[in-house]
Amino acid sequence: MKHIDCKYYLAVDVFKGICKRTKDEIYADKEACDEFEILHTCKHCSNYRVKDEKMGLCMDKMPAYPDMNAALCRDFRLNN
Amino acid sequence: MSAIYEPDHCSTSNYFGKAPKGDIIPREIDKKPSERVNEIRKLYFQTKSSASVEFPYWYTRKWEELEGEVTIVRRAEALKSGFQHLTPAIFPGEQLVMGKAKYLRGSYPMPWLSEAFFMSKEDEMYKDALEAGKVSADEVTTMGQGGGNVTKSMGNVLSIAGKFGLRKEEMPILLNIAKRWFNKSVDDLGHKYEMMVPGYDTKEEIMRAVICMFDSGYTLPQGREVLNYFYPLQYGIEGIKSLCEEKLKESAGYPVMDRLYFYKAMITMLEGLQDWITNHAKEAELMAELEGDQNQKDEYLEIADRLSRLSKDRPQSFHDALQLVWIFHIAVLNEDAISGLSPGRLGQVLYPYWKRDMDMGIIDEKKTLELLESMRMKFTEIDCFASMGVVGGVLSGNTFNNLCVGGLNKDGDSAANELEMLIMESAMTCATPQPTLSLLYDEKLPEDFLLKGVECTKIGTGYPAWVNNRVGMEFLLDNFRNEGMDIEEARAWSIGGCLETSAGSWMPLEMDGKIHYIPGGSAPATSVGVHFISLPKVLEAVLNNGLDKRTGRRVYPAHDCKLDSYDEILSIFKHYFEITVEVLTLTNNIQHDIWGKVSPSLINSMLKPDCLLKGKDISNKGSRYNRTFNVEVCGGVNLVNSLASIKKNVFDDQTMDMATLMEAMENNFGYVKAGDTGAYSLVEQVRNKDNNRWAKIHNLCLKAPKYGNDDPYVDNIFKEWQDYFSKMAANYKSLYDEHLYSCQISVSTHGPMGAVTLASPDGRLDGATFADGSVSAYPGSDKNGPYALFSSATCYDHSCSQNSQLNMKIHPSVIEGREGARKFLELIKAYLRKGGFHVQFNIVDSRMLKDAQENPDEYRDLMVRVAGFTQYWVELGKQIQDEVIARTEYEKI
Repeated sequence: MKHIDCKYYLAVDVFKGICKRTKDEIYADKEACDEFEILHTCKHCSNYRVKDEKMGLCMDKMPAYPDMNAALCRDFRLNN
Repeated sequence: MSAIYEPDHCSTSNYFGKAPKGDIIPREIDKKPSERVNEIRKLYFQTKSSASVEFPYWYTRKWEELEGEVTIVRRAEALKSGFQHLTPAIFPGEQLVMGKAKYLRGSYPMPWLSEAFFMSKEDEMYKDALEAGKVSADEVTTMGQGGGNVTKSMGNVLSIAGKFGLRKEEMPILLNIAKRWFNKSVDDLGHKYEMMVPGYDTKEEIMRAVICMFDSGYTLPQGREVLNYFYPLQYGIEGIKSLCEEKLKESAGYPVMDRLYFYKAMITMLEGLQDWITNHAKEAELMAELEGDQNQKDEYLEIADRLSRLSKDRPQSFHDALQLVWIFHIAVLNEDAISGLSPGRLGQVLYPYWKRDMDMGIIDEKKTLELLESMRMKFTEIDCFASMGVVGGVLSGNTFNNLCVGGLNKDGDSAANELEMLIMESAMTCATPQPTLSLLYDEKLPEDFLLKGVECTKIGTGYPAWVNNRVGMEFLLDNFRNEGMDIEEARAWSIGGCLETSAGSWMPLEMDGKIHYIPGGSAPATSVGVHFISLPKVLEAVLNNGLDKRTGRRVYPAHDCKLDSYDEILSIFKHYFEITVEVLTLTNNIQHDIWGKVSPSLINSMLKPDCLLKGKDISNKGSRYNRTFNVEVCGGVNLVNSLASIKKNVFDDQTMDMATLMEAMENNFGYVKAGDTGAYSLVEQVRNKDNNRWAKIHNLCLKAPKYGNDDPYVDNIFKEWQDYFSKMAANYKSLYDEHLYSCQISVSTHGPMGAVTLASPDGRLDGATFADGSVSAYPGSDKNGPYALFSSATCYDHSCSQNSQLNMKIHPSVIEGREGARKFLELIKAYLRKGGFHVQFNIVDSRMLKDAQENPDEYRDLMVRVAGFTQYWVELGKQIQDEVIARTEYEKI
């Protein structure tokens, strides 16, 4: 997994961010550390249906994409 | 086989006085921000402009769910959903928090306004936009290659519009959303109806020729205006909601019913803002949980507490008030693509809070300064997501959040205060492009206040710009009298955007049982209407019988005249100019009408007096003042110099005939075109093999009378143009049935507009950037010193136009020390006392700018004044960099 997939990743821009725990500057696409904790995104939601690698459907209606932050989505249901 | 011609490079520099020798002279003062803010600034310097899809995704999703709902309520629900789902981010060391999007320099596309420009060039939607002339300016704009601009795609990041980075994984959903707005966006719907305007084909040709820079209705429908923070400060968000709920009950079932939907929309939108703020409060709590350092932990908890309170209640302290002002500022920026959203006279708005905190010992000057530095960083982080032509060609990546100091209070006394002194100090200790400062100069302002302004200008930040308070008031009284403007209200004015005179009002803020009248904007967007007509390009069409020679396309009807008198040329010029203004007025009226119908402003409408009282948004004339549409032009000085050259050389002295002049211009006077050399000023040019053939003609054109030298020959032409322009603009009406007025700022348009214009009769070469501003001399042509320039600039009444713009470049050694400061202030006063509206300065050694162009990595924090705004040198396009270098540098005053 990459830093960008971690719930403690604070994005500064599209390339890099800051670890909320260590305060280290980190790059979005570099391998995450051992303290990694998954950030819930649409692909972890039971309401998400995969269409292809890049796109899917939310609740069989609206388009969605797998990597969108779902932390604030009221309809998020964690996949079993 | 013929010999290969070796181009002959010629370099010049433009100085008034002796050119400086020895080492590059640095700027005189070098102050630093607090350690905390310095760390944030360092982070900023490493940060790239970044776009995200969260907001447009959730906005679009809710919009589609609510098909059939009343539009204004549907829009409110969509905005609410967007705000609710923005990922909160709080960066280390921040005392003021929240931003437009999750990134430090975050922004996002707004496909409900326009969805074509961020498509790939192969996409049919982009091709259609190109065909309609909507993206012609994009094609001729050069974007700054350094700083925070993401100019190229790399790794998992895509570059959009040459500036914004977007994560690759977000592109498919962005394209999906964008296509959902096809034929529904303000751009598409506006286009559908603007095509019904008689003469619409001419409009498309005008856009393709880049005679007009861009449409405003779907690009930047709001902005160039002053925000009003009164309602949140006075009532808090819950208080405003209560007010709306009362009004809603009074409106339900009674005429005019639109009020009901308006108040319902306001409540919905405010709920969205509350969730957005609360999400950040929770994020601050999380950051506190993860924080080991006790001081930082306490700060996060303090932030969480402040945000929780401000999500409901009115502010209790200066820090609270500043945070709330910031929240509403970016909330407005999130409802539309906006440039030039100005905080106005913020030091006067916040003064009651600050004074109380100071008196109670809650805050001191040091802490104030640090908060103001933090505020500067937040404003500097603002990016506006727009097309390359708009964000590069017009804005130069800037967002024009103008903060004004000085001016008069409600009673006509000096409004300057101690907090404004600290605002100017913070602009020196934390020198950043935003917010730029304007000092509303009035004879009543105290000398120490003016000297503080001089100290700030001397540091080389380009601000404060010096603006004539009385001229601004005269303009407002003249144009807003019919809507009730009186002398007292005129004193509440401020600058919106880079230099747009904007109407204001005094609002009664109650604190501790006392009323404080605070100034704030009370008119909607200006610099909407007719956007940046290239005057030299119109003249070029006159000389070429209505054709755009660059593309070979017909723009205007052929006049088929022989052009055998100066008066005939001027007459045809006016005819073509009027065709341009008329068709652009009508088409832009439609675009803005569509904007108001399908994407009305909610947050700004809530803030602007008297929308909340009337139950009308700003597109329904809810504002107190509504005469805000204007006609903007660019290249006026090149036009006037060209007319003077034609008059002098062809008709008065008859040193050449018209055909010879035309042939010389077509041959670019024997020089290589700027587009081929990549050098956009006359300072660096390359002669071609035909140079000798055209040298004499070119010399005569260059030697013809030039504006800026107190020469009545050309100044009379300038005055005639100004008088004509300010009167003719009033012949056209906005969709609000209000007359237009003239507006004269170039922003950055003099770069791309110059790039598409052939050599002109004033001796300017093909593709070279025009003179900046409106009363700045063409670089190198002002040879008689600053006072001669002032006389030329004030040969007409500046209050007849929304603004005038004068840029000057002065070498730091000229105004060195205390004596230099006094001399500098006298220079400024001399211009403003002559009736000049505005003057701004670059205090810089031109050699430093040349060095910065060659070694950009060593000058990440170098700022220059362009035309109404200050920008980091490395984020400017080459067209503008060259023009700033070429400006005449004054070595004596």
